[in-house]
Amino acid sequence: MIKTINLSKTFQDKKRGEIRAVDNVNLECQPGKIFGLLGLNGAGKTTLMRLLSTVLKPTSGTAKINGFDIISDPQKVRANIGFLSSDTALYPRLTAQETVTYFARLNGLDEDLIQQRTDELFRIFNMESFRDRRVDKLSSGMKQKVSLARTIIHNPKILILDEPTLGLDVITSRNIIQFIRKAKEEDKCVLFSTHIMYEAEKLCDEIAVIHQGKILAVGTLEKLRDTVRLKNLDEIFVKLVGEEHEF
Amino acid sequence: MNSKKVKIIYFKEMKDMLRDRRTLISMILVPILLFPILIFGMSSLMIKMTKQAAKRVNPIVVIGGDNAPALFSQLKVDKSFEIVPESDYQTALKDKKITAALEFSTDFEKKIDAGDSAQIKIYYDAAEIRSEMASGKLDNLFKAFQDSVVTERLKVKKVDRSLLHPVKVQKENLAPKEKMGGFFLAMFLPYMIMIMALTGAMYPAIDLTAGEKERGTMETLLVSPASRGEITSGKFLAVFTASLITSIVSTGSMVITAGSSFTRFEEMGKGAVFSVNPLSILILFLLMIPYCCLASSILLSLSLFAKSYKEAQSYLSPLLIVIILPAMVSFLPGFELSARLAFIPVINTSLVLKEVLLGTYHWGFIGLIFLSTTIYALIAIFITRRLFEREQVLFRT
Ligand SMILES: Nc1ncnc2c1ncn2[C@@H]1O[C@H](COP(=O)(O)OP(=O)(O)O)[C@@H](O)[C@H]1O
Ligand SMILES: [Mg+2]
Repeated sequence: MIKTINLSKTFQDKKRGEIRAVDNVNLECQPGKIFGLLGLNGAGKTTLMRLLSTVLKPTSGTAKINGFDIISDPQKVRANIGFLSSDTALYPRLTAQETVTYFARLNGLDEDLIQQRTDELFRIFNMESFRDRRVDKLSSGMKQKVSLARTIIHNPKILILDEPTLGLDVITSRNIIQFIRKAKEEDKCVLFSTHIMYEAEKLCDEIAVIHQGKILAVGTLEKLRDTVRLKNLDEIFVKLVGEEHEF
Repeated sequence: MNSKKVKIIYFKEMKDMLRDRRTLISMILVPILLFPILIFGMSSLMIKMTKQAAKRVNPIVVIGGDNAPALFSQLKVDKSFEIVPESDYQTALKDKKITAALEFSTDFEKKIDAGDSAQIKIYYDAAEIRSEMASGKLDNLFKAFQDSVVTERLKVKKVDRSLLHPVKVQKENLAPKEKMGGFFLAMFLPYMIMIMALTGAMYPAIDLTAGEKERGTMETLLVSPASRGEITSGKFLAVFTASLITSIVSTGSMVITAGSSFTRFEEMGKGAVFSVNPLSILILFLLMIPYCCLASSILLSLSLFAKSYKEAQSYLSPLLIVIILPAMVSFLPGFELSARLAFIPVINTSLVLKEVLLGTYHWGFIGLIFLSTTIYALIAIFITRRLFEREQVLFRT
C-alpha cells in the first residue's frame, strides 16, 4: 500500500525560481488496485514517483510504502517497489540474463531463487530466445520485456510505473497494459502515471488528476463523472485543469 | 553499508567496463603500444639523423683558395665538402645553394710559414641547422690543421708538447649500470605512469557516471535497494582497478621495452644496460596505490557532475593538464624532494618515484608521501560519496 502525507517537493531553479513540482499531495493506493496519475507534461508525475522511489527527498511531508517511511527507511522502500519509467534504461553491454540477475542480486535474492525466478520470468515473457543476447542488440520490444523482468524480479508488492508506454509501439504498449492487468490480479498495488486519457480510462480503478503539483480531484471514474457532471475523461480533465491552460 | 552489495556492483562494473572497447584501448592497448613506439621511434630517428648528418655533403664556396694551397687541396679531397664555383656567396648562402663560404687571407701560407697568425673567415647562417653544422665541421678541420702546425713549430723549437697541457683530465663513469638504466627510466617512468594511470581510468570514470546518466541507467540503479554508499564504493573500486591495471601495464611495457635490445640504445653510443631493481618496482606500486585512489575519485567526482559524455570530457581535459604539469617535475634537473614538497600531491609522488627508480630510498619521505597521498585520497573519496548523495548532482536539468 502507498500512502502519501502532505508530500511536497520544491526545486530551486536558476531561471524559473521556485518550482513547486509536488504540492501537498495526499493519496492512498490499495493492493489489488490500479491507481492512475493523470497529468500534462510538467504536472509533477515523475517528481512524485521519484519521491516515492526515494531517489529524491521530499521538501516536506512524507509517504509510507508497505509501512516503510520513504525518509527514514529508503532502502526497505526500494526493496518493496518495482519502479519502471522511460528514464530507467538498461545497461547496453549486459545480456538480458545478466541484467535481470544483477538486479536480483542487488535485491538480495539468493542464487537458487534467482535461477528459479529468472527461468519463470523468461518463460512468461517469452524471452528465452534472446536470453544471452546483449541488450544493445535487442529490439525495443525485447528491451521493454527485459525492463519488465528487471522491475519485478524481486516480486515487489508495489509497482510504480511512470508513463511506461511512452514512446513505445502499439504492440509493446499492449504488452505493458496486459502486464499491469496481471499485476492487479496478483493483488499488487500499481501506481501508474500517464497523460493519455484513453489509457487511464481503460485501466485504472482510481484516478488522480494532477496539475502544477497539486491533486485536483481523485476517485473512481464514476465519482469523477459525478463531481464534474461530464461523461468523457478528457472533458472531465479539461474542466478540472481549466480551459485557459494551453501549451 | 553492505560489502556484499559493493562486491555485486563492483563485479558488474568490471564486467561492463571490460566489454567497452574504448576502455580496453585506453586501459591496455595504448600503454602496451605507446612505449615501444615512443622509444623505438625516438631511438631510430636519432640514429637515422646522426647517420644522415655524417654522410651529408656540404656545398661550400672557397675564396682565395690559392692563398692556402695545402689546406685547399685537403678540402678538395674531403668527402664531406663539395667546393662549388659561386661568385656571389652571400646570395648563394641565402638561397641555401651553399652551406658556408670560406675566405683565406691573401698572405695565408706566407704568414703560416713565417710562424705568424693567418686569417680564415667562415661565413655561415647560424639560423640554418645545416649551415651551422657545416661551419662546425670546418672549425674542426681547421683546429686539426692548427694542431699540426703547432706540433710542427714546437718540434722546430725543440719544446715538448706537454708544456701546452700541464693538466690532463681523465673522466670515468662509475655509475652502476643499473643506475644508468634507471636514469633514463627515472625521468620518464613516473611521469608517463602517472599520466597513464589517469587516462586509463578516464573512460571508465565517465562511463560509470555521466555515461550512466546519458544512457538513463543511473536511475535504474538508484531505484534498486543498493544504497548510495554501496553504489559509490562499487564504482570507485572499479575505476581504481582500471587505474591500477593501466599503471601495471604501462610499467611492464616500459621496463620490457627499455630492457630489450631492439631499442638500439647501444648504437646511440650510450651503452647503458636497462635493469631495474625489483624493490624499486615494489615501492613504485605501493606509492601508485594512493595516487590511483586520488586520481580515481577526482575523475569520478568531476564526471559525476556532467550530464553527458561530452560534457564530462570537457571537465576532464583541464584536469589532465593540472596533473601533467606537476608530474613533469621528474624531468626537471635539480628539482629535489624536500619536506615541504612531500605534502604537495602529484609532485611528491613524481619526485619520490624518480629517486626510488635511481635506487635511492629515503624511507622517511616514502612513508610521508604514502601517508599524505592516502589522506588526500580519503578526502577525495569522501567528497565523491557526498556528491553521490546530492540530488542536484544526480538529476541536473
Ligand atoms: N531536477 C529538477 N530540477 C528542477 N526542476 C525540475 C527538476 N525535475 C523536474 N523539475 C520541474 O518540476 C516540474 C514537474 O516535472 P515532472 O515531475 O517531470 O513532470 P511530469 O513527469 O508530470 O511531466 C516541471 O516544471 C519540471 O520542469
Ligand atoms: Mg514525467
